[in-house]
Parts: sequence; C-alpha cells; structure tokens
Amino acid sequence: MLFTALVLLIGVALGAVGFFVERGTSTWRPEVTRTGSGWRVVQTHQAPLGGLALGGDDLVWGCGPSIVLMDLNSGRLKLLGPGPASQATWDAAASQRYVVWFEAEGTSAGEASAWVYDSSTRRRRQLATLGDVLSLPSASGDRAVWCTTTPGGGPGIVAVNIPTGEQISVATEYGVPVIDGDIVTWPRRMGSTGMPAAWALVDLAQGRRWSMVPAATLRNADFLGYDLSGRTLVWGETDSESGLSRVIAQNVDDGGGSIVAEVPGGASLAAAPSIDGDLVVWAETLATPPGSRVMGRRLGGGPTFLIGDVDGRVLSTAASGGTVAWLAQQGQTTFIETAKVPR
Amino acid sequence: MTAWVRRRTPLLGPFGVRVLLWLLVELWILNVADLLLTRYSLSLGFATESNGVMDYFFKSGTVQAVAFKLGIVTVGTLLLWRLRHYRTSLIAAALLTAVFAAVVAYQALWVLSF
Repeated sequence: MLFTALVLLIGVALGAVGFFVERGTSTWRPEVTRTGSGWRVVQTHQAPLGGLALGGDDLVWGCGPSIVLMDLNSGRLKLLGPGPASQATWDAAASQRYVVWFEAEGTSAGEASAWVYDSSTRRRRQLATLGDVLSLPSASGDRAVWCTTTPGGGPGIVAVNIPTGEQISVATEYGVPVIDGDIVTWPRRMGSTGMPAAWALVDLAQGRRWSMVPAATLRNADFLGYDLSGRTLVWGETDSESGLSRVIAQNVDDGGGSIVAEVPGGASLAAAPSIDGDLVVWAETLATPPGSRVMGRRLGGGPTFLIGDVDGRVLSTAASGGTVAWLAQQGQTTFIETAKVPR
Repeated sequence: MTAWVRRRTPLLGPFGVRVLLWLLVELWILNVADLLLTRYSLSLGFATESNGVMDYFFKSGTVQAVAFKLGIVTVGTLLLWRLRHYRTSLIAAALLTAVFAAVVAYQALWVLSF
C-alpha cells in the first residue's frame, strides 16, 4: 500500500504548497508583533492601513480594499472582505459581537451592500442592500446605523437590527450617524470649519427625538470628529489662531458639558477623540514633531494619564473594553498599536 | 470502450487490482471530505463554489448537492472498478486521488487557519 500512500502524500503536498503560496503572496497581511502592552501591526505592502475599529476582542482595519480582522487574544488574522463580486469597500464599524462594512463593485457604483461578520459564529453574511454610500456604518450591540439614499432619492439615516436584518428609518435627512446603545446622534448644520451648530439625537427605544447645542466650543475652531458612549458625546476641536485644542464631553440628557482636556499651543489634537464607558481617549501631536502621544482620562474623576508614546503622527484612535488602539503614520508606513488600560 | 482500452493498455495483475481498490476507497472518502469541507466553508460565508455544476446543486439545496456529488463519484469509481483489469484505470484512479487529496488538504488548511 506504499503506492496509495505516496499518491495521497503527493496530493496533500500539492494542496499545502498551493495554500502557503497563496497566503505568502497576499497583499493584505501586515507584520504583527506582540508588545509589552498589546500588539503592533505594521503595513508591509503599498496599501496603507486605515479605517481602524475596535469591538470586543476584535481589532479591524482596512488595507486597500481588504477588510482585515485581528483577534486581540491570539493575533490571528482574518480577511473579512471584499467578497468575490466586489472590488471596493468602506471603513468598517465594530460592536462587541459584529463587524459591519459596505462593499460594492466600485466606489462610484450607485448600489452597495452592507455585510456583517459575527465573531461568535465566525460567519459572514450580507446584511442589507443600500443606495449611495453617504456615511460609514456605526455599530453598537445588535444594531448598525448609516446614511444612504432612500427610495425617494433623498438622504436618509437608517438603523438595522443585525440579527434580523430589519431596517427602520431614523431620519429623512443627511447625517453621519454614530450609535451607542439606543442613542443615535449626528451633527447638524456644520459650518465652514466643520463645527456643528447642533447635535441631532434619537432614542430608538423610546422613540424620542431632540437636539442639543454643543457646549464649551472654541470660536472658529476646526471640528475633528466625535464619538458616543452611553449618554455621553465627546468631540475634538482645534483653533488654529490661538493654537488651542479641546476635547469636550457633553451629556445628551441634560446638555451639561465639560472640558476633558485642553491642549495648549505648540502641541495639538491629532485626531477625533474616542470614548468607551467613562474612558475618553485622544491623541496629541507633540510640540517637537513627529512624535505624538495617546492620552486618556476617566470622566468619573482623576487626572489625565499617558497611554502610549507614538513615534509618528496619530491618524485615529479607538477604545473598547479596556483596550485602546491607535492608527499612526511614520513616513510612508502606517501602523496600529494597542494598549490595555487598567479599569 | 472496453474493447478500445483492451487494445491500447496493458493489463493489471492481482496486486495492481488491490492497489486500484485502495485508491478508489480513498477517492470516495476524500470526496466525502471535500463535500463536508466545502459545505462548511460555504456556510461561513467566505468561500464560493467555483465549480459551476456544484454551485448549481448547492444553490438547489444540501440534499441535492450531496446526492449529486456522492452519486457522480460513486458512478465514476464503479466504472473504474469495472475496468479494473486495465492499467489505464489505475492511472486514472491515482490521478483523481491525488487531485482530491490536494483539494482536501487546501481546504483543511484554510478551515484550520480561519
């Protein structure tokens, strides 16, 4: 039976060679190393890393059209998208269990589809079809929200129940929504600096709708972006004239605002802040470039603390479940680093 | 067909027939493994069936896909067994087994790495 074993062995060897050659020639695989505080993921091919998202034990990013997921416990990588019929993807959003992203034949295609990866069942499926992509998705718990063109042709904000695929209309207007729990929010009437004149808010569980004027804003400040956790909205703004930057937190129920951090001239806020529970995270460029540092502060009290020194310019940050991740660039190379923050 | 094979190919001895039997058994088992791994990979939502015929049957339903895949390979192995006295049958069985082993190894590594 030596001959039959040899035939099997030759076949298995051919299959294994094919598998490892295909894996070795993939252009989405970065260099992943474990660090003292978490992980370091470095771009190894031409396409830069982007679209950072963090949810549960999953770190997600984009690399060219590829959507890549890394298990924060093992460092194992998975290519989530695009599927064989698609060539374009948009930045993904992650909740504790789900990763949601858009795919289309091309970025100019009028119709895209929303896909979801369920990390508990390890399955990927199509969640919905949508018209034009007017915003990136945002995900929290079992829900995702995004803005797309409605059947009538105008823009609309849609919430989707991920397990059932059931869609509900949140608003018939344009907005870049963020969801956390039952609350959906998006900025309204953004001026030339991007600073919104109001926050639109919807409580999906109670059907309540209201708006809120941003608190503690700097005059003529540039708006850097926003995030939502629980009943707290945070955003970053920077005033190029005075050189002052601020991270502001505002309670969506009573409108009470507070300055979480103020970055004086010389240094500046590098990207939009992130919030998870009572932890607010932001990145500051140092007065002596190209260094940056990722900082954190708990809204419950306590001083600002250093999460990580970054050798490069931070492009975005994310926080989830005691883990903080940041996407940074040094020269032509992009990289992602993660760190654990004590609760 | 039998007459054509008889004219063109040398005959197999009893040892060759035993080897052929083993190869056909392996081929059938590998076919079942291929079916299970393909079904599992498709259910994960990441893989697509590149064989147009099998794609049609998988889209028709699991029972149809199982019936077709097991049926076609069973018919094939029985045909090769029917021609067991000819060396061509052994060569064909060896080639098919190697190809199925390659496909199953590739799929098993993909599932394990996922």
